Amino acid sequence: MSLNPAQKYPDTIPAIDTGKVMGLKRPLTLAVAGNPNAGKSTLINALAGTRLQVGNWPGVTVEKKSASFEANGRKIHLIDLPGTYSLSPYTQEEIVARDYLVQEKPDVIIDVVDVTNLERNLYLTIQLLELGLPLVMALNVYDEALQKGYVVDIKGMEKMLGIRVIPTVATKKTGLDELLAAVTELADHPLPRSLKILRYDQDIESAAAVVAGHIQADHPQLAEKYPVRWLSFKFMEGDEQIIEETGLTPDDAAVTQAVDHLIKAHDSDIESIMADARYSLAAGLTQEVLKKPELRKIELTEKIDRIVLNRWLGIPIFLGAMWLMFKLTFDVSKPLADWLTAVTTGPGKRWAAALIALLHGPDWTASLVTDGIMAGVGSVLVFVPVIFAMMFFITFLEGSGYMARAAFVMDRAMHSIGLHGKSFIPMLLGFGCNVPAIYATRTLENTRDKALTALLVPLMSCGARLPVYIVFIGAFFAAHAGTVLWSVYVFGIGLAILMGLIFKRTLFRGEAPMFIMELPPYRMPSFRSLMIHTWEKGKHFLIKAGTYILAVSVLVWFLLNLPWGVTQKQDSYLGRLGQAVAPIFKPLGFGTWEASSALISGLVAKEIVVGTMGEIYVKRAEEEKKAAPPTLTEDLKEIGTSLVMALRNSATNVFSSFAPSSLSTAEDESRAGLKTAIQHTFTPLSAYAFILFVLLYMPCAVVAIAMRQEFGTWKWFGIAFGYQMVLAWTVAFVVYQGGRLVGLG
Amino acid sequence: MSPLGLLSPGEKAEIMAINTKKGCGLGINKDQCGHIEDIGLRVGKTVEMLNNGGGGPILLRVDESRIALARGMAMRIMVEREVL
Repeated sequence: MSLNPAQKYPDTIPAIDTGKVMGLKRPLTLAVAGNPNAGKSTLINALAGTRLQVGNWPGVTVEKKSASFEANGRKIHLIDLPGTYSLSPYTQEEIVARDYLVQEKPDVIIDVVDVTNLERNLYLTIQLLELGLPLVMALNVYDEALQKGYVVDIKGMEKMLGIRVIPTVATKKTGLDELLAAVTELADHPLPRSLKILRYDQDIESAAAVVAGHIQADHPQLAEKYPVRWLSFKFMEGDEQIIEETGLTPDDAAVTQAVDHLIKAHDSDIESIMADARYSLAAGLTQEVLKKPELRKIELTEKIDRIVLNRWLGIPIFLGAMWLMFKLTFDVSKPLADWLTAVTTGPGKRWAAALIALLHGPDWTASLVTDGIMAGVGSVLVFVPVIFAMMFFITFLEGSGYMARAAFVMDRAMHSIGLHGKSFIPMLLGFGCNVPAIYATRTLENTRDKALTALLVPLMSCGARLPVYIVFIGAFFAAHAGTVLWSVYVFGIGLAILMGLIFKRTLFRGEAPMFIMELPPYRMPSFRSLMIHTWEKGKHFLIKAGTYILAVSVLVWFLLNLPWGVTQKQDSYLGRLGQAVAPIFKPLGFGTWEASSALISGLVAKEIVVGTMGEIYVKRAEEEKKAAPPTLTEDLKEIGTSLVMALRNSATNVFSSFAPSSLSTAEDESRAGLKTAIQHTFTPLSAYAFILFVLLYMPCAVVAIAMRQEFGTWKWFGIAFGYQMVLAWTVAFVVYQGGRLVGLG
Repeated sequence: MSPLGLLSPGEKAEIMAINTKKGCGLGINKDQCGHIEDIGLRVGKTVEMLNNGGGGPILLRVDESRIALARGMAMRIMVEREVL
């Protein structure tokens, strides 16, 4: 095995501590590995500061953090591996981490270890050491360990593991210089002795030797590419991914014999034998180097958990937290959304029209820009504050540690629909936007859970459907806005439970999954990480608004204005299409071509329903008010002052009364025209049926793409599409016809 | 020996056996092979019950981490109560 970095880079200049003297030194790539909650993120933040970049690992939605910076006069490239408990390929995170280490061979691995869970962390360390790469251990949360009265024999650990062990406190930025020094030292000075190999018991080692011999003799190209000792272990364990990747098969009788012998000797299966061997080593080491005090204080996290996870209080607290989140989301974002509407529909449109007039563009271009693009995108842009506010609160719940508790509390209820508590997190994200929710099903371990969760996610009413509700609720149920809106969300949840029960008995028969999850300690997430993750989540929506919705707005405008010279919108392509499908919606109470056209355009993204309606009804609205246009300076002044007002309102809303009042307030002028038009063509009953139809019919096109990406097949989206169309029609039919029977509407 | 799932909050116990289906070392089904041990639950480990409230999952303390575990799985882990 030649994994020693000096051989990879023979021209490295030896010795001398300060990097400056040598001028240019080769840049280093460092991979940070460790258990979830070991403090990896904090350590990386502390090392990289503002240079941190957040993205995704290619092809998967596991978050990837990286940073490039200079330390001691040399370039350092830092890669954060996903937090894992082991390197066995059971989860996406484990596969990502292991593939990176095996294929990219970073110069040094920084193994972040939580001293307070030393044994479990060492289990991963031992697996990392099997890879034979240079490794430095950051013994993190060291201050807490000392506080708790732990005594750690660091020298002993270094000796036994054959690596440098540096105590760090990432939160206080202590130990970081020593850590970087140790890392560069290791990269520049290949260890004088060969890398220490931790030996398992004799049976395992001799079996591994046989396998290694076979690999080296028959597959020299694999011996080049992979660390042989590690590959031998993986081969013995029958690691499916590695066997597939390498094409190794136990064609050598000696190999099968060696493994069989091992299994017989231990009377267990090979994976257990290996896991036991690694754990024994980890447990033994822990016993040698760590002394814990007899008595242990009860921590704050445990005290909070006693209340939050209480058998009786758990669910009420959870529901309260959800209610507060929704309340705050709308209170904070509403004034800003109103301001955005006012700007885009008022001055924005006037300026665009003026600009086109200035350029002598033909009339139709002015209409395309103002009625098509600005009305369409504008109507969606107003939801940016709502989406970002909701993503902010969801990020906060995740970062603070409460989200994991929500999964715990909801596990029992989720079990009844064939899922476990972890599936609840994607469902909850679905209220913000279904797209990240579909991607979040990654965190579930098997396809059954993922598919069932993804099928139910679209029933969680996302932020994009909200504009439709708001317009219709504003037009018909202004007095009871909060209650009606609440009922729509509850309706979705109720149907998700019902569909879950149905799916559990049809498509997803078999054993319900098991729940196992670590609950992290509570902590206050840093403002910066809140901002980064809110942006990461909200970005999807912005991209959607900037691409799909823009394109569809233009398309809808053309469909509404073609064939050329069409005067009545009813005769346009979209109008004709709407007329053609209108009879389907007739029994639901909204069989008009306007409603049908809007629903068709909403197949792409539900926000567009309102945009299309706006375009269809825009003529009528305009006729209703004509006033002298204000001047540019007046406009600018207005925009400025109204923004200040809006910011002030969102701040005060948070502290003001806790009744869901903000939804019913402020009939904005721009929508007044649309609302009047709706009031002419709908009844309160058919409006409610329409709202429910919008809630339930097909998830948007982006969700379709997300589902295709996640599952690699259109199958699950096809099922979602089919069942949702049927469900939407049935529910709207029952509500409308049932309502008429009892004399409503 | 008794199943882990029958401990009361505050009780500590040592794990004696993890009874799982044949053919898979550690988990209940293939997908969960390894996961129980990876997260720190293994034979010989002492754990403390933190929350055992009726029908839902249980909450354990393993060293300084809190592990939530499905009740069904907890019933298949046999433990020896620590005598105080």
